Amino acid sequence: MEYILSILIFFPAVAALIGFLVKQNSIKAYGICVAAMQFVLSLVLWLKFDITEGQMQFTHIIPLISSYGINYNVGVDGISLFLVIMTTFMTMISLIGLSEKRDLKNLIITILFLEMTMVGVFLALDAIIFYTFWELSLIPMLYIIGAWGGKLRIYASIKFFLYTFLGSLIMLVGMLYLGYIYYITTGTYSFSLEDWNMLILPFDMQFWLFIAFFCGFAVKVPMFPFHTWLPYAHGQAPTIGSVILAAILLKMGTYGFVRFSLPLFPDASVYFTIPIAILALIAIVYTAMVAYAQEDMKQVIAYSSVSHMGVIILGIFALNVEGIGGAIFLMISHGIVSGALFMLVGVVYDRTHTKMIKDYGGIASVMPKYATIFAIVLMASIGLPLTIGFVGEFLSLLGFFKVSATLTFIAGLTIIFGAVYMLTMYKKVFFGPIKNEKNNELKDLNKTELSALIPLVALVVILGVYPKPILKSIETSVNHVVEVMKIKAFEDNTRVEILDRNSIEGAR
Amino acid sequence: MNSISPIAIEFASLNFPTIVPMIIAILGALVILIIDLINKNLDKSLYVMIAVLFLIIDLGVIIGFTSDVRGFFDLLLVDGISILSQGIIVLASIFFVLTAMGKLRFQEYRYPEYFALYLFMVAGFQFMVSSDSLILILVGLETASMALYTMIAMHNRLNALEAAIKYFTMGVLSTAFFAFGSLIFYAVTGTVEFGKISEVLVASNYENYPLILLGVVFILGALGFKLSLVPYHTWVADVYEGSTASLAGFLSIVPKMAAFVVALRFFEIFIASSDPFVEIILYITVVLTITIPNIVALLQNDIKRMLAYSSISNAGFAMTAILIGSTQATEGLFLYWMMFLITNLGAFSLIWINRNKTSSDFSSTSDNAMDKYSGLIKKEPFFALLMGLFLFSLAGIPPFALFWGKLYLIGSAVNAGYLMLALIMILNSAIAGYYYLKPIVFMFFKEATEQRDDILLNSTTPIKVVIGVCTVLVIFSIFLIEPLLEIISYYVQISGY
Repeated sequence: MEYILSILIFFPAVAALIGFLVKQNSIKAYGICVAAMQFVLSLVLWLKFDITEGQMQFTHIIPLISSYGINYNVGVDGISLFLVIMTTFMTMISLIGLSEKRDLKNLIITILFLEMTMVGVFLALDAIIFYTFWELSLIPMLYIIGAWGGKLRIYASIKFFLYTFLGSLIMLVGMLYLGYIYYITTGTYSFSLEDWNMLILPFDMQFWLFIAFFCGFAVKVPMFPFHTWLPYAHGQAPTIGSVILAAILLKMGTYGFVRFSLPLFPDASVYFTIPIAILALIAIVYTAMVAYAQEDMKQVIAYSSVSHMGVIILGIFALNVEGIGGAIFLMISHGIVSGALFMLVGVVYDRTHTKMIKDYGGIASVMPKYATIFAIVLMASIGLPLTIGFVGEFLSLLGFFKVSATLTFIAGLTIIFGAVYMLTMYKKVFFGPIKNEKNNELKDLNKTELSALIPLVALVVILGVYPKPILKSIETSVNHVVEVMKIKAFEDNTRVEILDRNSIEGAR
Repeated sequence: MNSISPIAIEFASLNFPTIVPMIIAILGALVILIIDLINKNLDKSLYVMIAVLFLIIDLGVIIGFTSDVRGFFDLLLVDGISILSQGIIVLASIFFVLTAMGKLRFQEYRYPEYFALYLFMVAGFQFMVSSDSLILILVGLETASMALYTMIAMHNRLNALEAAIKYFTMGVLSTAFFAFGSLIFYAVTGTVEFGKISEVLVASNYENYPLILLGVVFILGALGFKLSLVPYHTWVADVYEGSTASLAGFLSIVPKMAAFVVALRFFEIFIASSDPFVEIILYITVVLTITIPNIVALLQNDIKRMLAYSSISNAGFAMTAILIGSTQATEGLFLYWMMFLITNLGAFSLIWINRNKTSSDFSSTSDNAMDKYSGLIKKEPFFALLMGLFLFSLAGIPPFALFWGKLYLIGSAVNAGYLMLALIMILNSAIAGYYYLKPIVFMFFKEATEQRDDILLNSTTPIKVVIGVCTVLVIFSIFLIEPLLEIISYYVQISGY
């Protein structure tokens, strides 16, 4: 059990290498097998996980460059646990639903490598190891967009790569500086997150470090105005690329905020709450409007992703247990929902080779099962109660309500805007007269597609009705994060502010 | 100014063991020439292997040194830096001479003189790095350079001659600069040894400061040519393009290692006393050297030219270590250069085996156009994957080799308070990311433009072994860093940098 985290990280990579030996016609089955094994492994991890404990568990350290304080250091807590499970689950589902025919073997091997980097990001506790997986994840995604994408794929893939690359390089300077500060304070180098959490930093230092880390995370999320790479990446990526990008890769950014920015720089986090909230609000409102104007179904969902990520950021910077916990739940639910939506668009795209809304209309009567599933997922996306989307959105907004009622109100518009653009799109695509004669012959979902989509729909409903098992362990770990922030706050005002936002009495 | 004391030579101060490594290399060259005198019809593989054998013995002797020794009438200084850089130079030379084992019969490799020159050149560089006397440095520099000019010219193509002439004229200019710079320092301080120059300068409290600065400028110019620092970098791309890929790879690594060591020893005098003018000159040079070639590289359509500009930028990167001047930075310089060695060796070897002797005509300037690499993933997936790997390593994507070098150098910049410099390095890494992606886009995303079945035309087992070794080292470099750093820091610290 000691090595389960390392197994989780490196199993997909080893499997990918072995995958080179598998014949082209059976590679999809192989990919699904590996992803399913990986999913089961992550469930085993959940089983062995002590949900009453907020600290890191299953930690495991191997010295790599000890003179410079770089170690292979992994661990899991309630926050990363579910993100890992979501990662393995969505990878499996996206492989099941995979309909790509071109060069399938390379695609599946690439996806398995990508899975390694994603799981690695969520489990790494050493900043440099985290950075390694973080950067490494760019390569498979670059390849997926560039080799299997649409017409503008080369432009889109390079834009995606360079944006995120530059952002994370600036983050790297921050990491190196933090390592140096640790050296000055203690006399040894360390890049371990747990060591860093012991440091209490003066505010001006936190200020610059926060900005450095922000550059890395904000581009990845993507926050307004760093979001311009995302619509291109989504628009050009093949279905499976969009699914993984929206469901998992974007979550790396918000995860970074929770894992690094909040506990390391509590004063700066409080200081930047309002500016970041404003950026998030612009993302929520502006991209929702942009989403409404889109003519391409995939772009609607891409922009809606940016909008929802804004809500997650808002939840995180509420800096209280409800907000952060809700944001993490929303990360998981958005992963499932946006993944499902991109897969659904992929389904019709495979049949008609168009993603334009105007080419459809009235297909609810031709594809009833498809329309039903689409409707359920769509409800979750707009955050209807009793669906998975509601829980996180509600908690995030509730958390931020304690910071600012006005801003929360504006953010609440996301639900209305979401309903507007999503339902409009749904109406145009599924109801009314059938615009295109050919669409009369569209086939409804086949067994493969159903087997990929039904688990998603089931989760959307089950976790929407009963989110407690997940929320409970998330909250335990979030409590720990808030606790660290409280202890590490350099200025008394910050401590008071954090206690206030968490409604803890006796703050003053 | 002191009057010059007469030079007294004692034979005991020869300290013969200090020159043994160079003598082995020279001996190897002579053996090759003698064998050629006896029998003219021997294959190049013999000469390659003889060169390798002598270099291995050379390396063995170098490793045998453990501490500072002076010798050769006090002109030689075999300290930690010298041992380390000699080790890198000889090791790199072993690998690069193996790339001469290509399948295609290029004319220069048919002459045994080529390999003799190669060994003379190595000996020259070894002299250059193990001396703190300006005169012996100049001798070493000239020995090595003369050999290099000839080797480039031996590649029987029009642009090879152009490259050789270009390299020669620039080289001569740089020699003149070096001689003049040395002259000034001799005039000011009455000595040509770095250690003594430093002492005299401090004792005289930098008397004649403008003259000293002039000397610095001349020496910087001279080293600038060898290190391809901006604005002395204009020859690089043309010379690389005119040489074979294997020699271009060599040029990007070994001569620069030698020049770095001289620069390290020379600028140490001024950085240690934190001379503001020298620092500013260096700072500007470094920043320009990192930035300008990076931007020019964006425009290149020939992969070899692109790598040429990228290696200028990388030299600028390594040069930051000399500017920073801390022990950690000096360690970073060597670590960076080792990582750069394995990455560039791999990349240039791959270009080398993709050499097509027939399709490009005699005077064609661009035989490594990016087009040539389009759609390679379909035809030679392994080749494309490896090329991608080396390019990602050059771009500094972890966990591949060059990332750790960059990490350590940027880390030392941050630690020494050069935050602005660190940010400039970072921004340039991002720019570099773009042009490293270009060949990747061609190889992985584009369809092949012409039918070519001879991508690996020039490949043979020895070259494949070299590439294989590089690949393994680049991928698993993370496990190398710790032991390498231990060795490097031991040697750097015993020589007091």
